[in-house]
Amino acid sequence: MKISGAQIVVEQLIANGATTVFGYPGGAVLALYDELYKQSDRLEHILTAHEQGAVHAADGYARTNKRTGVVIATSGPGATNLVTGIANAYLDSIPMVIVTGNVPLSIHGKDSFQEVDVIGITGPIVKHSFVVRDIKDLEHTLNEAFRIAQTGRRGPVLVDVPKSVQTDFCEYFWKPVHPVEPPVCPEFDAQAMADAIKNRKRPYIYAGGGVIASGASAELLELSKKLSAPVGLSMMGLTALPKDYPLNLGMCGMHGQYVSTTAAAESDLIIALGVRFSDRATGNVDEYEKNKLIIHIDIDNAEIGKNVTPGLSVCGDVRHVLAKLLPLIEKAENPEWLARIETLKKAEVEQVFVNKDYNPRNIIETVCKFSSDETVVATDVGQHQMWALQFYNFKTPGMLLTSGGLGAMGFGMGAAVGACFAGDKAKTVLFTGDGSFAMNLIELATAVTYKLPIVVILINNGALGLPLQWQHTFFEDRDAYSRLDRKTDFPALAKAFGAHGHRADSVSELEAILKDLPDDLPTVIDCQIEQSEMVFPMIPPGGSVKNIILRG
Amino acid sequence: MERFTVELIVSNQYGVLNRITGLYAKRGYNIDSLYVNETENPLVSRMLITSQGDEYTQTQMVRQLEKLYDVQKVILMAQINR
Repeated sequence: MKISGAQIVVEQLIANGATTVFGYPGGAVLALYDELYKQSDRLEHILTAHEQGAVHAADGYARTNKRTGVVIATSGPGATNLVTGIANAYLDSIPMVIVTGNVPLSIHGKDSFQEVDVIGITGPIVKHSFVVRDIKDLEHTLNEAFRIAQTGRRGPVLVDVPKSVQTDFCEYFWKPVHPVEPPVCPEFDAQAMADAIKNRKRPYIYAGGGVIASGASAELLELSKKLSAPVGLSMMGLTALPKDYPLNLGMCGMHGQYVSTTAAAESDLIIALGVRFSDRATGNVDEYEKNKLIIHIDIDNAEIGKNVTPGLSVCGDVRHVLAKLLPLIEKAENPEWLARIETLKKAEVEQVFVNKDYNPRNIIETVCKFSSDETVVATDVGQHQMWALQFYNFKTPGMLLTSGGLGAMGFGMGAAVGACFAGDKAKTVLFTGDGSFAMNLIELATAVTYKLPIVVILINNGALGLPLQWQHTFFEDRDAYSRLDRKTDFPALAKAFGAHGHRADSVSELEAILKDLPDDLPTVIDCQIEQSEMVFPMIPPGGSVKNIILRG
Repeated sequence: MERFTVELIVSNQYGVLNRITGLYAKRGYNIDSLYVNETENPLVSRMLITSQGDEYTQTQMVRQLEKLYDVQKVILMAQINR
């Protein structure tokens, strides 16, 4: 039977397992949208307020339910509005398929209305991209896009479908799609690795997003227990272990825990699982690598040896590698090392906040008290993000949606929308700041339309907190354009969107609001904190644990 | 710095050269010479790219090139000291 290109796109999205897509219509995708309209009982389309919101939503959706996120946008401005969200998914290895429309092939390459070279623009921030010039290639191309997005190190794949291909017709046979082949364990000398681990007295495990992606939390926990090895986490790996597991030292690196960063420096072995040794995590690499063996396990071969030089390495899926390694690991007690960890834990300086009664810590801890283990937590980027990572009691792997690699302010609101659709409209918390929230708060409109119970905790200090903190520390307090002299009334703004809006000036006021949240509308809670609150510890860029700043 | 050459077997399609040179540009490496030709198999092309870098750079470039969808094979050619 002959069907249109637009129909083929919808059929292939469904055949590849998509049930929800996010997007925004426009001239070059109207044929595709007509098909989405006809097939709305088989494929749910979520209309956001801006393409950036749609792509962050597809990202949040993918992170929450471990499937491939799908986003659709029109040509030209629709496509360019996606760029930040695609880069975000690329740097955090999130599987995503992006479908963009483009001008008809007859006027392609002529700077036609709403024509941009989206393939050229997104080249460095996608795993791969396709332009479909012949409708006969459409079915296979979309299958390939899903396969590439999900295999190996995951990431975004873009498929550009010109308008004339959407309206063209060709034979279609509804062929089943082969499921993506699961990763297999790579060949490696597990015994040699186990032997190298055995002789070390101060083992430290550094776990990251690869542990979440491969679902290796149980294996990570077993390794830590067997070796009596403390675990430091990267931002992307923060939820890999429950926060209350005694050997979970928390995040390491620039704004990580003192104990986590110091233990990494003092260890004689770092077993790095699904991490890429970002500069934010390692600081000065020469200092980081000193006096220790580094074993690096990661699914991306190009990450091995890129930022640090491991003594031993294996390229493969973390869960499979650990499953092979674990039976060969001998139980170790390492009492001296564990005693040292306890000492370091005691030395961890409790953060002192300017305002003792109402500060980021007790705001976040209060929100945590009113959440369940299954509550998805999204963040934006800045001080509030660091505080949320430090003080929120994460218990379930993958429940944190945060912009790790790109550090994209404005990520959170879209991500929270996506998470709601992944989690059957369950309560979702967004920690944001007044700077980040202002960037994409238009998605409150989306949350109201779709009755999403998103709780926006606006940690509002009237400033771009991290730049201000850096200016205080490194630029002699010259606060160049980082104080936001705005008069925005956020609760009133929320109400104007049709959402609930509150201001909480104390923990008890916050509690009263959290006790009585609507389950079919978003709520914005404006929590105004002191502008002088800062994030500690802090390691200056390029520094090491020797340069750690513990308080202001 | 050593001069090094990689030989690539790639899909013979528009845009492929762009992705490969884009990778060099993104990582900040200059291309000294570039040679592309179609092979006896019209579906694939062969490329020779000469650039400069130490052992680290060479390994990184090979591994990054191997990740590209259009790249079927990467061979690091014998090194020629300057």
